[in-house]
Amino acid sequence: MSELSRRDFLKLARNGFLYLSGALALGGLLRFLDFDPNPAPITEFDLGPASNYPLNSRTVLSEPPAVLLHTDKGFSALSLVCTHLGCTVKSDAQGFACPCHGSHFDANGNVLHGPAIKHLQTLRVELTDEDNLKLFTA
Amino acid sequence: MRPSFFHHLHPPTIPATQARWRYTLGAGGTAIFLVLILGVTGILELFYYNPTPAQAALSVQTITYLVPFGGFIRNVHYWAAQFLLIVSAIHLLRVVFTAAYSSPRRFNYLLGVCLFVLVILLDFTGYVLRWDVDICYPLLTGTNLLKTVPVVGNFLYRIAVGGGEACSTGLLRFYIWHIFGLTITAIILTVWHAFRVRRDGGIAVPPPQLRKDITRISRNELVRREVLAMFLVGIALIILSMLIPAPIAAAMTEKSILGEARAPWFFLWIQQMLKWGNPFLFGVLIPFGMLVLVALLPYMFPRPAAGDIGQWFPKSNRLAQIVIGVIAVIVLVLTLLTFIS
Amino acid sequence: MKKTLTLASGSLLLALVFSWWWTSRQPSPVELIPTLTGQPEYCLTCHADVPDISPSHPNNTFGCVSCHGGERLALNADLAHSTMRGGANPSDLSVAGISCGGSNCHSGSEADDRNHIQRVMTSVQSTYAGAIANIRFSFGAQPDLIPRFGTNAVTDEQTQTGITSLSAFKPLSESNPFIQKFGENCLTCHVNAVRGDGKANERQTGCAACHATAKHTLSTAIPYTQCNACHNRGNYDLRTMTFIERTDHPTNRLQDYYQPIAQFTKCEYTLDCVDCHTRDEAMGDGDLHANQKDIQYIQCKTCHGTPTELPLTKTIADPNDIVFRLAMLNPVLELKMGDTVLVTEKGEPLWNTRVVSDGTYEMIGKVTRQQFAFRPVMGSHCTQSGKDQSSAYCHECHSVER
Repeated sequence: MSELSRRDFLKLARNGFLYLSGALALGGLLRFLDFDPNPAPITEFDLGPASNYPLNSRTVLSEPPAVLLHTDKGFSALSLVCTHLGCTVKSDAQGFACPCHGSHFDANGNVLHGPAIKHLQTLRVELTDEDNLKLFTA
Repeated sequence: MRPSFFHHLHPPTIPATQARWRYTLGAGGTAIFLVLILGVTGILELFYYNPTPAQAALSVQTITYLVPFGGFIRNVHYWAAQFLLIVSAIHLLRVVFTAAYSSPRRFNYLLGVCLFVLVILLDFTGYVLRWDVDICYPLLTGTNLLKTVPVVGNFLYRIAVGGGEACSTGLLRFYIWHIFGLTITAIILTVWHAFRVRRDGGIAVPPPQLRKDITRISRNELVRREVLAMFLVGIALIILSMLIPAPIAAAMTEKSILGEARAPWFFLWIQQMLKWGNPFLFGVLIPFGMLVLVALLPYMFPRPAAGDIGQWFPKSNRLAQIVIGVIAVIVLVLTLLTFIS
Repeated sequence: MKKTLTLASGSLLLALVFSWWWTSRQPSPVELIPTLTGQPEYCLTCHADVPDISPSHPNNTFGCVSCHGGERLALNADLAHSTMRGGANPSDLSVAGISCGGSNCHSGSEADDRNHIQRVMTSVQSTYAGAIANIRFSFGAQPDLIPRFGTNAVTDEQTQTGITSLSAFKPLSESNPFIQKFGENCLTCHVNAVRGDGKANERQTGCAACHATAKHTLSTAIPYTQCNACHNRGNYDLRTMTFIERTDHPTNRLQDYYQPIAQFTKCEYTLDCVDCHTRDEAMGDGDLHANQKDIQYIQCKTCHGTPTELPLTKTIADPNDIVFRLAMLNPVLELKMGDTVLVTEKGEPLWNTRVVSDGTYEMIGKVTRQQFAFRPVMGSHCTQSGKDQSSAYCHECHSVER
């Protein structure tokens, strides 16, 4: 057991307490900042009557950014949020292109060339009893 | 004249070599002056800026077009901020190229690197406060980069943006970071950085026995030179602010057609890298790695010779000069590439 | 050093004075607070001489931004104009719903007769449904004349015609080259289309196509020259599927009408188109129709009657009757309660007509304010059979030599 004078022990204890207090304060500060006061984002969108979207139509929606397809298999939706960093992709000749970093997707959302690696997300579409369409982003 | 408060902020005399323009370029001092200008113009803008998503861009337009000299104040604030970023970079390069970071100044060098990061973050948060159609994509992608960090990504996003969707709800938190969170930290670090300059023996020069010129100048003469520099920088700022207005675009509403997907000029190099693939790698790891490399320069390489301190491009820290030079060139080239592709 | 400092401080003062002067060179903002929105706008700083677009749309009430969009606080032209709707024409049908629409304005309920935008969007003048269906049927792209396509995609939920929607016509997706040529050459006359270049082709789109009779002017007194911008621009050739534009501006209404075989009576080349053709005919009745002939129904007998029937009339009994509003917008005659006006078979009032006490009728030109007195056919020497009363038969005797 090495010799530790009372003065040094007290100094060590004092410094230790101060560092621990500082760490506690920092941890508290980080927890304080780590709070989201905003309401949860909307995940269900009412697209209106299904008759607005006739067979074989492709409708580009702005909220949420998505394209609604009506084929003989029914309704489906493709998210237009780029899977790289979240910009909204725009339609082009081959399908969709992202203006931010140059990702390209085909008309079904598959990646043609990067930097994105995941294909565009398919979103769930449901037909209500009153023939209204609802789009779900989650 | 009797020395005033400002004179007394300086040591009674300093070696003449410390105060030469062609040594320091006056970069550090100019940076502090620009910080003061930014504080004053920023506070003036606070009188009219409205930090709500519906009113922010309109209040910026009010400042720019309707408040008497509002446009001028805003332009000064904008150009001082961009100047500050450039001058800070020049100061950093100067410190490395003149081997001024060596012990006992290594900790102060780290403080300086932290300040550089704070200046970049302040520039970005200030840019976002415009809340117009051109800032949404840079805000969205920049904050989504935080989410790509493993384990703590969402935590970092919440601290920086306050959760929610950046382009809808991120304004208030970015406002607080800009006018308070980052600013108070920058002020504390600036004062500490300036104090450390005094404590470490003033601006880095060779010790007296190795110095070629041992004359000294008085604090009055030093203050005169600083005031002259402030006049010249002030005149340049005024003329620039008069002739070239700060960027502005249409207000961002829920129905807005968003503007160009183009990062602010100081992040163009990252936007270029992001075109190459994985966002965490190219948007977080590599830039952060470059920053860590810059921060560790004084610790990685052997200590430069005492006689080399304060000389431009001395031999004894050639490796550090090359590293930082290459990093600077890479950033420049990446930035220029965005104009071509 | 002292000299340098003095010089520098002098330059600083100079720079400040110069920047003060430079800033004061900007035009001082001219504020307008429209009573409808209560939000200040500064468009008048540069556009001070813009007149009220119509007596019903004064600048002080509407301001500029509620119709045109734009950044209301900006004094820089590029920024101020960056969010304007429809460029210089906010009534273009792509943005008319936001500019001219709103439940208090021109796109509300049918009951209040405030559904103009929905009516125009579904009208045949806009959809071109009949022309498109006919060409596609003629060239085998569809088996019947039921319209499937219009110039823009449009739906009609409360349809009375059974046609609930039209998809957007895409000529490039058609396999028949003639249909593609039709798409390229013949679709420049619908209300959504932008005309070709050249002064001879100048016209607006959207609501302005008919109602903008001059620069920044909206009117219901629409002269025939406005209609000529589309309806007298040349002739089509179905064999080559081209449209041969005329290069002149017609001035002689009788001689210059493009169809060489057409027949006209005197009133048809004297009156303006709007004197006879009704609002439903021009703007649609709110339903999607398959063909122009389903919506265009004014005939000579509407005003003149037949040998066996007098024309339909209505005596104004309701102070809220729409004829008062129509007459107020274009006050060519003063209508009073108890006046009798002609009405069409669908009940649309011909508000610029009146039954005179001696049993004859009068019409005031909506644009020219010319007064026309006319008699009913009943009681005249007309020997036309009661069964054959379409206008073509009237033309046989009454058309003018060209």
